[in-house]
Amino acid sequence: MISETLVVEKGVSAGDAWITVEPANAHEALSALKDEGYLLLVFLTCVDHLADASREWPARYEIVYQLRNMKTREQLRVRAFVDGDPPHIASVHDLFPPANWDERETYDMFGVIFDGHPDLTRILMPDDWVGHPLRRDYPVGGEVVEFSEEHETWQTAPDKA
Amino acid sequence: MTDTTTIGQGITVSKTGETGAFGGELLTVNFGPHHPSTHGVLRLIVDLDGELIRRLKPVIGYLHTGIEKQAEALRWQQAVVVTDRHDYLSPPINNLAYALAVERLLGIDVPPRAKALRVIMSELTRLSSHLVWLGTSGIELGAMSMLMYCFRERDTILDMNEEISGFRMHTSYIRPGGVMADATPRFFEMLEDFINKMPSHIDEYEDLLTMNPIWRSRTIGIGILPAEDAKVLGATGPMLRGSGVNWDLRKNMPYSGYETYDFEVATSDLCDCYGRYLVRIQEMREAIKILRQALDRLPDGPVNADDRKILPPPREELETSMEAVIHHFKLFTEGYSVPPGDVYVAVESGRGENGCYVVSDGTHKPRRVKFRAASFVNLQPLERMAMNHMIADMVAIIGTADTVLGDVDR
Repeated sequence: MISETLVVEKGVSAGDAWITVEPANAHEALSALKDEGYLLLVFLTCVDHLADASREWPARYEIVYQLRNMKTREQLRVRAFVDGDPPHIASVHDLFPPANWDERETYDMFGVIFDGHPDLTRILMPDDWVGHPLRRDYPVGGEVVEFSEEHETWQTAPDKA
Repeated sequence: MTDTTTIGQGITVSKTGETGAFGGELLTVNFGPHHPSTHGVLRLIVDLDGELIRRLKPVIGYLHTGIEKQAEALRWQQAVVVTDRHDYLSPPINNLAYALAVERLLGIDVPPRAKALRVIMSELTRLSSHLVWLGTSGIELGAMSMLMYCFRERDTILDMNEEISGFRMHTSYIRPGGVMADATPRFFEMLEDFINKMPSHIDEYEDLLTMNPIWRSRTIGIGILPAEDAKVLGATGPMLRGSGVNWDLRKNMPYSGYETYDFEVATSDLCDCYGRYLVRIQEMREAIKILRQALDRLPDGPVNADDRKILPPPREELETSMEAVIHHFKLFTEGYSVPPGDVYVAVESGRGENGCYVVSDGTHKPRRVKFRAASFVNLQPLERMAMNHMIADMVAIIGTADTVLGDVDR
């Protein structure tokens, strides 16, 4: 197991082992875990805990890294809680190449800035999009259907979230 | 003028500078997004030196439909419908990942018959997904008749989907707590007939392609992805197995009773487009084996977990039991709540690891549903595979990567 000083909290959720690390140590912790044999980053994403009453959350955004050791078939989820507008965390694309696109997607959808990422641009939404759609305060149905009757007025005065 | 760029640890690709080998400038070509061979709307910005690819940048997002955002606005049982639509060639496998994740959070288990039906639907889907891949890849590389043969068999699978769920494509058949309904006797007749006929159909495809000189020259040695690079770049599914890595979630991390079925994991050491083709053909044969076993020892019994808080009561009980009416009313007005927590479940789809990461905040709607899309990750090695090949080989490389753009963009 990685050095205890890096781990803030650990536990098991529905059978999945997880640890929490400080966002400043996330890169170091993932690097240590990679040396231990967790060579595959299955996915990287973010969860927005805005107005989530299920427990006391350390910060609004939770960055989730799912790691897998393909030899022992063990899985480990690493969480890091970040706050701020925009939130910042170190990029791990140098450790795990698949993180490159995952980080771009997380930036696109949640506005999390991954420091050190080579090309942090929008990946799914158009380049000129305003806002980050998967944030919980981004409304559903806030977009007018293109070429509909309302679209013309909306286009001249976009009512962005 | 050559500079190398690292795209991962130890993986470098050489990119030439502004001028090509013949002294002229590199030509930037927009490949897609509406090119028919991109299997959807994938755009590639390709820098060409003559006909050789010197730089490549995939641009995605043209098919983004906000499925993850929609799932957050739906109740737990309603979100099954949107899972159908991300990898639109394998809806039941997407349903399965979501259903297993929700069941893990709820702590319920499904009856053996439901597990077997889930395996049957997963394997039928794998077959239909591979058939679409084979037909469209064939037509792109000049084997025009492949599409007719493959879609003939795929149509029987869609007929079976219709028989079992009422829908031909977006079945929503596998749901948290079990499956939509038990299979009809006619479905089993159709399945029996299909299992008996399919092996000879696969022989037919192989007759047309495996030793076909045009097919071989278009695929052998094209799009090489060595095993080490495939692992580092996170490729899964036939992309990884076509590079000789024996990794299949059905064997390595079994779910839904796959550990009880006897089948081989198809691999190929060729690491090229032809290797990936051989893997998929072999996987189709293995899928038939699994279907045969599942049909022969299909257990009797219910197809849904016996939990009235999650699943609606049987129709006949509504007329006699007040409690059933209350459960029915609660379930269709409020839905059910899932205990707080998060879970990640991965299943093997036709194109790799299809995962579902679900976060619950204890309410009747998911807090976050994240689909770990196999195609999204499998598209990233494209640059590694296509570099220094001819632009025409791009078609073979995209084809055998078998990305579904709905899955990439979600």
